[in-house]
Amino acid sequence: MLALLGSAGVVAAIIGSVLLVIRGIRSARGGTADLVTPSKLILAGAVIAMAAMQIALLTDDFSLAYLANQHSTTTPFPFDVATAWAALEGSIVLWGLILAVFIWAVAARHRKAPDQLEAAALAVMGGVAVFFFGLMITVANPFEVCVDALATGCAGSSPWPFATVDVPADGPGPNPLLQNHYMMAIHPPILYIGYVGLTVPFAYAIGALALAVPGPEWLRRSHRSTLVAWSFLALGIVLGGWWAYEVLSWGGYWAWDPVENASLMPWLVATAFLHSGLVQQRRGMLQAWNFILVISAFSLTILGTFLTRSGTINSVHSFTQSAIGPALLGFLVLVLVGSFTLFSMRSHLVATSPRLESFVSREGGFLVNNLLLAVFAFIVLIGTTYPLLLEAFSGTRVGVGEPFFNRLAVPLSFLLLLTMGFGPVTPWRGAAPGLLWRRLRAPTLIALSLGIVTVLGVTRLGWVVLAVVLGTFVAGAIVGLLVEQTRIRAEKTGRPLLAEARTVIGNDKSFWAGQLSHLGVALVAVGMAFAANLPLNAQVVLAPGDSVDFAGYGLVYDAPFRRSEPNRVVQGARIDVYQGDRRITTLEPRLNLYGSNPSPIVTPAVMRRAGGDLYLTLRRTDSETIELDLDTSPMVWLIWLGGLTAAAGGFWSLAARKADRAVTQEVVTTDV
Amino acid sequence: VAHRRFVLLGIAGVIALVVGLTVTSLGENLTYYLYPTEAVAQRADFPDGERFRLAGTVVGGTMVQTDDEVIFDVTDGGATIGVVLTEPAPSLLAEEVPVLLEGAWSADHFVADDVLIRHDENYEVPDEGGAYPDQ
Repeated sequence: MLALLGSAGVVAAIIGSVLLVIRGIRSARGGTADLVTPSKLILAGAVIAMAAMQIALLTDDFSLAYLANQHSTTTPFPFDVATAWAALEGSIVLWGLILAVFIWAVAARHRKAPDQLEAAALAVMGGVAVFFFGLMITVANPFEVCVDALATGCAGSSPWPFATVDVPADGPGPNPLLQNHYMMAIHPPILYIGYVGLTVPFAYAIGALALAVPGPEWLRRSHRSTLVAWSFLALGIVLGGWWAYEVLSWGGYWAWDPVENASLMPWLVATAFLHSGLVQQRRGMLQAWNFILVISAFSLTILGTFLTRSGTINSVHSFTQSAIGPALLGFLVLVLVGSFTLFSMRSHLVATSPRLESFVSREGGFLVNNLLLAVFAFIVLIGTTYPLLLEAFSGTRVGVGEPFFNRLAVPLSFLLLLTMGFGPVTPWRGAAPGLLWRRLRAPTLIALSLGIVTVLGVTRLGWVVLAVVLGTFVAGAIVGLLVEQTRIRAEKTGRPLLAEARTVIGNDKSFWAGQLSHLGVALVAVGMAFAANLPLNAQVVLAPGDSVDFAGYGLVYDAPFRRSEPNRVVQGARIDVYQGDRRITTLEPRLNLYGSNPSPIVTPAVMRRAGGDLYLTLRRTDSETIELDLDTSPMVWLIWLGGLTAAAGGFWSLAARKADRAVTQEVVTTDV
Repeated sequence: VAHRRFVLLGIAGVIALVVGLTVTSLGENLTYYLYPTEAVAQRADFPDGERFRLAGTVVGGTMVQTDDEVIFDVTDGGATIGVVLTEPAPSLLAEEVPVLLEGAWSADHFVADDVLIRHDENYEVPDEGGAYPDQ
């Protein structure tokens, strides 16, 4: 029943997508066509598909093969809901739903003020939707019914909803790593909003190229979606790092894993695009570059999905085991070849840039920033795909080590920070001599003094000191600029400084929202430098009653414990943490055993403190002793705070643009 | 025109620098992954001390834990290699479990100082044999 409902939803979405392509093209050519109905059909179909999946999960309907292999009656809330995106087929349903919402949002705006560019963009989005919903009835069907049940799980399935079902009594449950932390319930949807959101600027770009209107209009129209995508990607990356830190038990948050890189690459390119889009809107420069960036960003989301979802990462040889890999790779090639062919056909229309008047200008800064971000993304791309290419062509399996990424990404990040300090205080077109020094004098002095304090009081490690100096420089430049503009206004109006500061920010919210994101990135950089360079760690073997001193704390191993929960067996050690004679907390590092899976999931216990987290990992237990990893990562919280701040800047900018538009509309109404 | 040439030259220089740095860093940071059959076949290419990663499954009944070492055999179905793990064994290490070991050849055995358990994406159970008895 639910298989039928879900499949019907998918089919409805496909019909809607095909209709949207046809009508979108007709409308883009100057005809009139209703684009809202097909987009509503896509949305309705996608909602029905997701609803069918959720009802199945909440009612333990194991007639669906996906549930039989990914779900279990013992899977607790919210992990039963999140099981909808715990594996490939379900995650594509989520992808389709988010895409449908974006399509519907664009179509709803289109109805208010129809134009050809938007119609063309909707046609492109319809095409993308045809592909993703098409996956759901071909190579990644989430609504296949189980026709050959195992004791737990399903050995054979059929895409035909009316096939005779063989319902297993239970399933193995989702991947243990995915039910070990509630973050898994919210992290994938957030990341997917980021990925899918990049479809919108891509669709506008292709629409603009197809209609031969390469002016800044497509940028203006897709700016909001780019911001949505960027903010959610940023949030998703931070939450992913936090999840890794809380769950993966090596005390780190980022390992240049292909799955992580898959989200970082589009974010880097989207960051470049947000800046270079501004240059085109303000100065008419970088038109061709913006097309390249937005096509790359979208392609990288498809590449990321391919890397993470086709099994190719484990081995190129598993590529052919599922048809999803070839399907995604084929789509990626189609997107790249199609987009760049169209781009080269229209390149004569893409205006040549007005000359850069001075490198010491806002646009000059943006050029440098774009160059750095593009190089950054390129390096991550090479490091991520090189092993795949090498194995595909020569059969040799290699891994690219973290040092490769760190060696190149760390200096690039510092250069980016430096640009971030200079850029915002530099005016468009060119700076008057002495202006930069006047604006940057105080931040430089403060940054250098804080650097000296760090050297004298904390550490002499070069990277940490440099991160403190540059991070302070960025923050100082932003604050300095705010102070300067506030003072100028206050001198004119005589109003109090605080009120004027609010006016200054209120007059250009997008700019200050961007600066908030910069501040967040600076915090992340400082946090990373501390966490990477000043950790302490030790391994100890303890018997009950034993104690050990570590990082200023006294740790006493109280006793082991073991408890059975519906979906897992938790085996752990109670460790009392003392500061001096006072017990401040009890930590419970654990080994969680899920179902019949013999490998326990090592679950660390973390005590969060401003100076540094105490991070305990249980390595093994036997009848008498436990083996415990002790780690501290100083200032790791700065990374979470900074990442959230950067994302908040994006969301604030979104809200600000909405408010700006509301104000404009009000003005228009009064004029009438 | 001179300005434009200067800019182009600068961009070309940056690209050359980036590509050069990327290629050299890549070469220095590659780790080879070998299955036991390949490791035996390519023994000459990996002299003692030359690090690589060995992927295979721990052979049942071969694991011996001493005070500071764990000794076991790893196989891919073809060749079998004796492994000496000098690090404390993580709780995930067990017989019949797929592992990824980092280390180097030492005469006729592989000395590993790092273990990564290869999680099967679907978490299918390799063996119901109770590698983790209740304690």
